[in-house]
Amino acid sequence: MELPLTELRNGETGVITSTDFGSEPTGIRGHKARRGHWRRHFMVARFAKRLSDLGLTPGTKVTMVKSAPFYGPLEVRVRGSRLAIGRGMANRILVDVER
Amino acid sequence: MSNKHFRIALAGNANVGKSVIFNQLTGLHQHIGNWPGKTVEKAEGTLHFKGYTVDIIDLPGIYSLSTFSIEEVVSREYIATEKPDLVINVVDASLLERNLFFTLQLLELETPLLIALNQVDMAKKKGIVIDYEKAEKLLGVPVVPTVAVSGKGIYTMLETAIEVIEQKRKISPLKPRYGKEIEERIEDLTILLSKIQLRYPARWVAIKLLEEDKEVEKEVLEVSPEIVATAERFRDELVQLHGHSCPTLVSCERYQVASSISDEIQEITEPLKPPLRESLHIVTTHRVFGYPIMLTAVLTVFIAIFSFGDFASGLLGDWFFGLKPAFDAVLGTGIVGKLVWGGVMEGIIGGITIALPYILPFYFILYLFEDSGYLSRVAFLMDNLMHKMGLHGKAFIPVMLSLGCNVPGVLGCRIMETTRERLLTAFVVTLVPCAATSVIILGLVGAHVGIEWALALYIINLIIIFVLGRIAFKALPGEPTELIMEMSDYRMPHIKTVAKQTWFRLQEFIVMAFPLIIAGSLVIKFAEVMDLLEPIANIMSPITVTWLGLPLMAGIALIFGILRKELTIIMLATLFAPISLGAAMTSVQMIVFTLVAMLYIPCIATIGALAKEFGWKKALLITVFEILFALLVGGIAFRLLTI
Repeated sequence: MELPLTELRNGETGVITSTDFGSEPTGIRGHKARRGHWRRHFMVARFAKRLSDLGLTPGTKVTMVKSAPFYGPLEVRVRGSRLAIGRGMANRILVDVER
Repeated sequence: MSNKHFRIALAGNANVGKSVIFNQLTGLHQHIGNWPGKTVEKAEGTLHFKGYTVDIIDLPGIYSLSTFSIEEVVSREYIATEKPDLVINVVDASLLERNLFFTLQLLELETPLLIALNQVDMAKKKGIVIDYEKAEKLLGVPVVPTVAVSGKGIYTMLETAIEVIEQKRKISPLKPRYGKEIEERIEDLTILLSKIQLRYPARWVAIKLLEEDKEVEKEVLEVSPEIVATAERFRDELVQLHGHSCPTLVSCERYQVASSISDEIQEITEPLKPPLRESLHIVTTHRVFGYPIMLTAVLTVFIAIFSFGDFASGLLGDWFFGLKPAFDAVLGTGIVGKLVWGGVMEGIIGGITIALPYILPFYFILYLFEDSGYLSRVAFLMDNLMHKMGLHGKAFIPVMLSLGCNVPGVLGCRIMETTRERLLTAFVVTLVPCAATSVIILGLVGAHVGIEWALALYIINLIIIFVLGRIAFKALPGEPTELIMEMSDYRMPHIKTVAKQTWFRLQEFIVMAFPLIIAGSLVIKFAEVMDLLEPIANIMSPITVTWLGLPLMAGIALIFGILRKELTIIMLATLFAPISLGAAMTSVQMIVFTLVAMLYIPCIATIGALAKEFGWKKALLITVFEILFALLVGGIAFRLLTI
C-alpha cells in the first residue's frame, strides 16, 4: 500500500513512488496554499530536487531507521547512505510498502 | 599559459575526505578566503611537484551541480568559466552510487577529470571491494585509489594528474546517456543551443533546461527565448509521459546510470558484526540517551574551555601588564604614552587574551566534533527545537558556538543553505549570551543580587531569542526550509586537518577582530584622555538615568562594552572604586544594567563579522535594532521592578 514516508514503522523498507509532493501543495499542516502559491511551489520544487539529488528518486528503496523525539526529523537509509529528513518533507514522499 | 603552471580543482560530496586530501597536497601553503561576493569559503593552496607549480582549489563539498545552495552555483561556475586544467573528483569508495551521481554531472560539464577513490580502506572494512580498472574503462577517466588520512595513493594521484594535463595520457570521458525519451529531447536542445554563445557546454545547458534550472534558464532567455519555450514544451511532454516532474526524472535516470556503473565495479559482502561506529551512532541519536550525552559533551567542553581559558588568560594578561613600566619608561605618561598603552596595547592585550585562551581551544574542539561526525547528530536531535524559530537543526551549531563567542557563531552561519537562513541564524546568534555576557550576568547579578536572578535573566534571554527569532522569520520574505542532511559514518578525526582548520579560523578571527578592537579602544582612550567621558555620560543621561534608572557612570561602562562586553563590569568596578559594586548600585539597577548589556549590541568584533558576511548595511541595521530593543526592554524592566 501507498503511504507517506513518515508512516513507515522503524526498520520497515518501502519503495518510493513519488517525491513530487502532489500537484497541489498542501502545506505541512494540511492546509491548502493559495497566497504565495507560486513561491511555495518553487520552494517545494527546490526541495524535491534536493531529495532526488541525494538519491531519493522514484523506484528507490528507502528504509526508515527511526525518528528523532518530539516529532523531530526522520533518519532513513537510502542507497547505502544515512540521511536526516525534516518531517514536513518526509510527509510528502510517498512510498509503497508491503504489509 | 606557462607549461609548468597548472590549476587543479578538488570537487566531491561532503564528508569524503576532500579537505584531508587538500591538506596532504598543500601543507601549509594555503590561503583561505571567500569567493568574491559570496559567503562561501574558498580554500586555495600551492604545491610544487617534480618542477611543476600547481595551484589547488578546494571546491565546497556538494551533492549536485544544481542551484540548491550557493556552494553548488559557485562550484559549477568555477569549473565552467575558470576552466581549471583538471578537476579531481574525490569519491567515497563506500558510497559509490551517490558519489558517482555527482561524477556523472562533472562529466556532463565536459571538464578534464580524474577520480580519487578515497577511503578504500574503510570500504574494505565494510565489505566493499572495487574493481578500479573496470571503473576506469567504464568512466573513461583515470581512477586512483587513495587513503587520504595516511597519504596513501596521493603521489600516484598527482603523477596521474600531471600525465592527464600534459596529455601524455589520453582520456575519453564517458558521456552519460539518458533514456530514449529524455535523450532525444536533450539532443534536439543541444543542436539549438550550439548555435548560440554560452558559458557552459551546450549539452549540459540542454540537460539543465530540462531540469528547470532557473539560473541557466535566465541566461538562455537573454539570448534566445525560443529555446526556453522549446525546453518548456519538452518538459510538459516528459511529464505527460512519465508522471513525474522533469527535474526528478532527470535525477532518476542519472541515478540509474550511476547505479548500473557501481553495480558493475563493486562487490559487497556484509561485514560479520556491526562495527563500533554503528553502536556509537545509535546511542548518540537515541531518543532517551541522545540528549544527556549531548548535554554532557557540550557542558564538558564549555567548562573545560572556560576553566582553561580563565587560567591561561590570567597568566597572559599578567605577563602583558608586566610590560607597562617598560612602556611608560620609553613613552612617558603623557598623552602619547596613554594613547599607545591604553589604546593600542590594551586593545592588543584584550584581543590576545580572548583569542589564544578561549577561541583557539574552542575552534579546535569544534572541528574535532565536526570532523568526527558528531555535529550532524546534534543537528538531528535539535531540529525540532530550532523549528520553533523557523530554522532547522543545523542552525543549532552556530547558536551553540555563540555561547562561547558570537564571532564564530556568525561565521558559522555559513553551514545554512540559503542567504535568508544565514541572515536569520546570524540574527538569532547575536542575541545569544556569549562568554563575556555570562561574565556580566554571573559577576554582577549572580554575585550581588542572587543566582536565581541570574538564572531568570538567562531564561528571559532565551524567551527573547525565541520571540525575536520567530518575528524575524515571519518578517523576512522567503519560505522556510527543512532539514535534509547526511549523517555520515563516525570516523577518527584527522588531527592535522583539524589543526589547520583551527589555525586558519584563528587567523580569520585575528585579522577581522583585532583592527576593530584596537581602533575602538584608541577612540575611547582618546575620549578619556581628553576628559570627554563625563560630558558624554551627561549627554546620555536622559537615557541611562531617566529612562533606565541607572547611575550616570553606567553610560560610560556601556560605551566600553562595545569593545568587549566584559569590559562593562570591569569599567563599573573601576569607575565606582573604592566603593564596591554591591554598595554602588541597587539590585534593580544591576538587573536593568545586565539586561541592557546582554541585549544592546553585538560587540564590535561581532559587528565586523556580520559586515563581513552580510555587508555593512545589514550589520548596522541589526546593531541599531538591538540597541533600541535593549533600551526598550531595560526601561520596561526598570518600571516593572520599581512598582
